[in-house]
Amino acid sequence: MTKLLEWLFAVSLVGVAWGLVTFDLLDFQFPAVYREVAWPMPVYLLVVFGCYSLATVGYRVATFNDCEEAARELQGQIQEAKEDLKKKGLKI
Amino acid sequence: MEHYKATGADHAVGLGLVGFSLLLFTYYTIWVIVLPFVDSDHVVHSYFLPREYSVILPGIAALILLLCVGTFIGIVTWKNRKSKKVN
Repeated sequence: MTKLLEWLFAVSLVGVAWGLVTFDLLDFQFPAVYREVAWPMPVYLLVVFGCYSLATVGYRVATFNDCEEAARELQGQIQEAKEDLKKKGLKI
Repeated sequence: MEHYKATGADHAVGLGLVGFSLLLFTYYTIWVIVLPFVDSDHVVHSYFLPREYSVILPGIAALILLLCVGTFIGIVTWKNRKSKKVN
């Protein structure tokens, strides 16, 4: 089984579990508090993932050491690329 | 290759991002997970919008993000709409 299939399988399992609780499809009649927590879960997980990504990017920006030489080299390459693309007609 | 510590603006922006995401995570977690277990007459509820907004607001934010990305792509495509032959 490929990784994609594994992920899709796991996601659909979680999705079915979430649907069961949120829409009470099997008539378990959970206490209202647990249903209140369950229904925003997909959006909540997305927001948490977004926060984690943002924090990781921020942390790596804050701790990445400056490299003066590489920075100058990169700036030069950016200029080169811009002029090359301008010659070929692309406008940004 | 010389190595210097991350300087001024980089450091500030990075830490700002980390702080902002921590704040957002804490507020959102309390809103979605903690509040349902708190009595409805507790004063903390006055700091949070009605529960529906905890799903609607991220939805709107995602839409705005998509709009911005689409607009940027549209602008760049429009600026280059005269198809030139590239050698």
